[in-house]
Amino acid sequence: MSEQTEIRDELRAVARDLLGRSDRAGRAAAPGGSDVDWRVLAGADWLGLEVAAELGGADATFAEAAVIMEELGRAVARSPYLGAVVLSVGTLNELQPSALRDRLLSEIVAGAVIPAAVLGSGDGLASAGQPPFRLERTAAGAVLHGQASFVPDAASAGSLLLLAAGQDGNPVIVRTDPRVPGLKVTKQPVLDATRSLGLVSAAGAEVSPDCVWQFAGDARAASRRLLDRAAVAVACDSLGLSEAMLAATVGYARVRQQFGRPIGSFQAVKHACADMLVQIRIARELVTEAVRQVADRAGADAEVAVAASMAKSSACDAAVNIAGKAMQLHGGIGYTWESGIHVYLKRAILNRELFGSPAAHRRRLAARYA
Amino acid sequence: MTVAATAAGLAEFRTAVHDWCRAHVPSGWRQAQTGASDEEYVSFQRAWLAELRAAGFAVPHWPAEWGGGMSVAEQVVLYSELAAADAPRLILAFVSIHHAASTLLAAGTPEQCQRHLPAILDGEIWVQGFSEPEAGSDLASLRTSARREGDAYIVNGQKLWASGAQHADWCLLLARTDPAAPKRRGISYFLLDMRTPGVDVRPIRQATGESHFGEIFLTDVVIPASQLIGPENAGWQVAQATLGAERGMTMLELAERLGNAGFRRLVAVCSRRGEDGARPIDDGLVQDKLAGFETDIAGLRLLCRTLVEDHEAGRSGPADASIVKLYYSELLQRLTDFGMQIGGLRVQTELCKPASAGWESGAWALDFIGSWEWTIPGGTSEIQRTIIGERGLELPREPAAG
Repeated sequence: MSEQTEIRDELRAVARDLLGRSDRAGRAAAPGGSDVDWRVLAGADWLGLEVAAELGGADATFAEAAVIMEELGRAVARSPYLGAVVLSVGTLNELQPSALRDRLLSEIVAGAVIPAAVLGSGDGLASAGQPPFRLERTAAGAVLHGQASFVPDAASAGSLLLLAAGQDGNPVIVRTDPRVPGLKVTKQPVLDATRSLGLVSAAGAEVSPDCVWQFAGDARAASRRLLDRAAVAVACDSLGLSEAMLAATVGYARVRQQFGRPIGSFQAVKHACADMLVQIRIARELVTEAVRQVADRAGADAEVAVAASMAKSSACDAAVNIAGKAMQLHGGIGYTWESGIHVYLKRAILNRELFGSPAAHRRRLAARYA
Repeated sequence: MTVAATAAGLAEFRTAVHDWCRAHVPSGWRQAQTGASDEEYVSFQRAWLAELRAAGFAVPHWPAEWGGGMSVAEQVVLYSELAAADAPRLILAFVSIHHAASTLLAAGTPEQCQRHLPAILDGEIWVQGFSEPEAGSDLASLRTSARREGDAYIVNGQKLWASGAQHADWCLLLARTDPAAPKRRGISYFLLDMRTPGVDVRPIRQATGESHFGEIFLTDVVIPASQLIGPENAGWQVAQATLGAERGMTMLELAERLGNAGFRRLVAVCSRRGEDGARPIDDGLVQDKLAGFETDIAGLRLLCRTLVEDHEAGRSGPADASIVKLYYSELLQRLTDFGMQIGGLRVQTELCKPASAGWESGAWALDFIGSWEWTIPGGTSEIQRTIIGERGLELPREPAAG
């Protein structure tokens, strides 16, 4: 346990340093978030954290990937890590082992392929367990129909992993090239310029039989688990950006002088910062617990879902409050484009909706009370 | 009472506590304690302490050599099972087993520990004599004086908001021993026998109508020098060091109580049919609020465990105690307010709540009014936010603050 904690602490320190550097460089050029070179991530061995060692991975767990998610949020980094690594590797790990699957995992680890997992529309919990696509048999073979919107990192993906209802109705994963006829991937620009979302639609796209991959266990349970994993990953991102906003605000409140004293000495400002810290501490507890549950894979799926919903709703609500308060406490400068606070606020509002709004997650929790 | 901290060991322990609760939690205690007289309340509290002590459940957070020694994981199990069984709470002994004990263990002499820790288990009741009429949030400006005369101190002054004062055997007393020193450097910490001549206690009736608090008048009270705890004039530092540290321990129990009995009671009141035949819980807005509370309580419970573990590992943060106190007290206030609104006017007809119950007893309107007993004493929410800002975030102090 403590050894794992040490490993994660070290990973966190390295990630903060590496992303912080690219953040400074990136922000000077564009106050719209910073680009992270994919080769840097590959070089740091972060692409294969959850991949088995024999495929070139680090044989670690979701807990380590969660550290990277949190640090990407802290740095408001522009990176397809969520779609290409957290969700895609998570998806592939739920599948029956096969040579094709293993080859794709190795290619992801090496940074050679940047895929995206299309598990549902990015704004919903409603679709949980209900595949957005379906396979239909035609004379020429299986074809794909369906649609999913707001899919993280789909527009730039080199390969897509689509959750589809197989011909027997059970969910399967269809691997496809985004450029095949009948498949369309359209970028959906959003206010948060650090994220790339896409609309994926299929109208009779041809699917080769060796690209239809079966889940290793209960396919519906697995697809629900993947959405919980997605929700927790986004909660980590929001937690990281919340901490960055609190740190920036506290730093500013210590040096900004008005009425002849630092504004941080005024109770109105000090108490607002205290409330930000309290919210972060609570969110961190819930996120840590959810990460542990997703990573351990020991508890019942229902317990993991509860922890995921609590973490997602708490951390993502908190992040919007905190980024909003950060803008407020920075005063006029906080509202400028140049300050960059809007970048965090926009990411926070996007995160809040991705993979289930707080209200949707609370609805899921409340379904247990009846 | 220690069990292996394995999952199996904990499960076994949970079953043992569960069974113990079934056999020992007095049935109908809630009804009996509703509207109970002072004597009935005190004797019930004493009997319950003796029951818990016999089982090894009274002071799980104390060191093993004094009768405790449970791991954090075991304490969580113990408190959650007691709460799930809707067991009475130790209220009269709260200051004794938490504040007095942690002060003795941290700063007491071996003689002081030997004199008091076993006595606390036998039912010795303690009260905190900190606040004064002119020293509330600005506690360090307290004026009660202790003048050294030979091997004793002569104490004069007035203490306020002393919880349980009328039942107390002993008092944790802060008094000024050096009026010339800066205010935080001239205070000493004493153990005061409440039977000493010159000690006069008068109850204060509080907003709920009950009288849990008292005023303590001290007139030429003689305290032997052997009852000084910590060095002379270092009382403020001793109090700071010991009182924050035990916050996590007290919160562990309160958070489990909120998470088990409290939340369950809230769901129950939301599930009752109103006069129109509708159940509040079928309303999406109510569901959303309930899920929000369940989430907040889960966060609080996890935070309490982390804080206790951090404390044991010696890595507590300077604002941890304030963070958990602030969050708990405001959550309690929000939750009881919600329960009261769900309960409607009917809960405002409940004119007294069961004694010995938790802060969320189910008499929601009184619980709501009583929640200010959390947001005001022990450092108001405003003081906690200032501490979090200054110690936790290192924001600059207010220029006027001394």
